[in-house]
Amino acid sequence: MDAKNKLLNKIRQYYFSLVEANLYLDSHPTCKEGLAYFKKYKALYEQAKEEYEKNYAPLDLLSGIRDDKWAWASEPWPWEGSEN
Amino acid sequence: MWEYKKRLEYPVKIKNPNPALAKVIISQLGGPDGELGAAMRYLNQRYVAPCNQVKAILSDIGTEELAHMEIVSAILYQLTKGLSIKEIKESGFDTYFVDHTTGIYPQAASGTPFSALTFQSTGDPITDLTEDLAAEQKARLTYDNILRLADDPDVRDPIKFLRAREIVHFQRFGEGLRMVQDQLDAKNFYAFNPSFDL
Repeated sequence: MDAKNKLLNKIRQYYFSLVEANLYLDSHPTCKEGLAYFKKYKALYEQAKEEYEKNYAPLDLLSGIRDDKWAWASEPWPWEGSEN
Repeated sequence: MWEYKKRLEYPVKIKNPNPALAKVIISQLGGPDGELGAAMRYLNQRYVAPCNQVKAILSDIGTEELAHMEIVSAILYQLTKGLSIKEIKESGFDTYFVDHTTGIYPQAASGTPFSALTFQSTGDPITDLTEDLAAEQKARLTYDNILRLADDPDVRDPIKFLRAREIVHFQRFGEGLRMVQDQLDAKNFYAFNPSFDL
């Protein structure tokens, strides 16, 4: 696995932790451990996402412009199997 | 509203096309217990949920189901990429191919197109959440059956992820149902609809 996909996998793992914490916190909104877990993975996710988008490709609409070009539509799409 | 993230929730990278397996797995896109039905069920039920936490559970799980549709579709896309006409005929994929070529269309493995008749939005949260618990079990069972039929580790890996999510969602819906029940009048437990009669 190349550096780009290694970083993408990290992003995926961090964000999955946020999804899991999201569903847990919906029914346990005052759990201190759950809130701390969410905060921890939010910081890791944001840092990794910023690094990925700076070096490789946009992951959401707001980072669609790269080097003054519209990279959102021109980069490969996730179902094609080029990620991983 | 929704925002698209340009990546899969779980990676899909399949080396060997297998149209016969795609014909089976397509049930988890558009079949009776598939991901499209799951997303539509929760995202339509949520409006009249009686408390904010249950609205959150339905919205957030419904949103994750949209990501699961994308994973199943990515599996189907990669399993049917670069096929020859000979492979299409021999695998039995020809009955799908004639209508859809290798496009992704939500249907059951039997060929029945997706139907909104596979789910309900009753306006009664106890009824809806009880259906949601059953729906997660049925989807988990379908993934179990797919794991019985699929040998390719590239396919089994994302299917195992999807199966595990059904179990987590079941747990969360159980908590949602308990929240609704805890707010009811214990003497009149099943006699009224907490979203309509109260």
